[in-house]
Amino acid sequence: MEPHTSSLLDHLFRHQSGRILAHLTRLLGPQHLETAEEAVQEAMLRALQTWPHHGAPDNAPAWLFRVAHNAAIDAVRRDRTGGLKSAEFVEALNRAAVHTPGDPDFEEQLRDNELRLVFMCCHPGIPRESRVVLSLKVAGGFSVREIARAFLAADEAIAQRLVRARRQIRDQKLTLDMPHGTELSERLDSVLEVIYFMFNEGYGTHEGEDLIRTDLCFEALRLGEMIASSSISAPRVHALTALMALQAARLSARTDDAGDLILLDRQDHSRWDEHLIALGFHYFERSIAGDRVSLYHAQAAIAAAHARGAKWLEILDLYEQLFALSPSPVVALNRAVAIAKVAGPADALAAIESLDLPGYHLYLAVRGHLLLELGARAEAAACFAAALECRCSEPEKRFLRRKIAECDQGAGVAIGLPLSTT
Amino acid sequence: MPKYMLLLHNDPAGFAKLSPEEMQKATEKYMEWTKRSFVVDSKRLTGEPGRVIRATNGQTRATDGPYSATKEILGGYYAIEAADYDDAVRLAMDHPHLTHGGTIEVRHVFGT
Repeated sequence: MEPHTSSLLDHLFRHQSGRILAHLTRLLGPQHLETAEEAVQEAMLRALQTWPHHGAPDNAPAWLFRVAHNAAIDAVRRDRTGGLKSAEFVEALNRAAVHTPGDPDFEEQLRDNELRLVFMCCHPGIPRESRVVLSLKVAGGFSVREIARAFLAADEAIAQRLVRARRQIRDQKLTLDMPHGTELSERLDSVLEVIYFMFNEGYGTHEGEDLIRTDLCFEALRLGEMIASSSISAPRVHALTALMALQAARLSARTDDAGDLILLDRQDHSRWDEHLIALGFHYFERSIAGDRVSLYHAQAAIAAAHARGAKWLEILDLYEQLFALSPSPVVALNRAVAIAKVAGPADALAAIESLDLPGYHLYLAVRGHLLLELGARAEAAACFAAALECRCSEPEKRFLRRKIAECDQGAGVAIGLPLSTT
Repeated sequence: MPKYMLLLHNDPAGFAKLSPEEMQKATEKYMEWTKRSFVVDSKRLTGEPGRVIRATNGQTRATDGPYSATKEILGGYYAIEAADYDDAVRLAMDHPHLTHGGTIEVRHVFGT
């Protein structure tokens, strides 16, 4: 067996494709996004055809850059529809070709272009539900199939959404110009919303075997860090980045070797990723600047409290603050977990009694758990059985079946609460 | 040790739907295979579809080609060493080209 020395840097293609695409889109304009996407695809195909026979180049990013660049020039020259103003574009591309990735000034420019591309993807002229898909495709370097798998959607639906989004970019003549003033602040909110959604989609406990979901979390974190380190950062950007880093730190501790869920209060803290915890606290400290407390701040504070191993009383207090900012049934449900720890299951049950969360498996699971703690076994089993009927992942189903068995056996071994507290 | 040529045919358009991540995985697998001990030589062939020279009525002419019904092109080759034909086929059988829709033509180099 030969040693596996052929591995390239992790996610090299994915990360470079986002950067190169942003760079080419800046030069050609977002109207020609597809031409830029094809040039990037061409560069990767060339790598696939060449590297196995001739070895990977020493500076792989620069190689991909140059080949994509040349492919873009070829595409511009070939274009007969006149959509691409040939001479001008070729000149711009040639002028840009003197730079090499790695050169600090050029790296700065590349980051700036990537940022602009993400901000364009979150333009209000693009429907909310398309923004995240477009961001993943163009800035994240995810394929239609990968996005569909991550969102448990059909390939065709995702492809359609991208076609429409590209048309909206053309029709509205969107540019990579950064907005200013209040428009910038609004756009930033839209970008953060997309990143937050991306992260949560990846974090949801679905079929744990599918790594694409973890990739979604790390792409969201990467985008958060990219904005946090830019000149347009704001305290809420740091708060969201802190929240994501602290949550992501627990990703590998959430399931055991069999892929079964391990809830937060049962997790082995030594399996939490130290580097991500440190990163989370770094951003959390920076998020405190400014006087506006965002929802991201309140959630980051809870994640930080868990990471510190804070007492439940403090966590309950933080949930009260979050609820004051966002009095939603889901927040109330999460708060009930803290209430149960502080004041007992009866108080927690009373707190969720009036919540309107029909068909939400976690509501039923929490209710079942509280009833079980109170000794109402039959009622608890009925709740877990009803939760099983809702849309939930395989690890969650196995968890719920274990709870039902526990109710039947009469052995009162509480496993914990099946919540977003994993 | 007898030598065999592995001629790799495929339609490059087949890779169009792959994500950067999948392209990288494929590239790594191809690279790993090339490093195996029985591989003597390997090269990529470019300039597809290439030029074909024929003599018709005493006149030699080069045309683009070879054109075939499929969009498959000969994109690269390997020279490998194997005990016999069956062995050569067996070794080629787990080349990643096959899982990416390509075909491999195995030919014995006469006299080796």
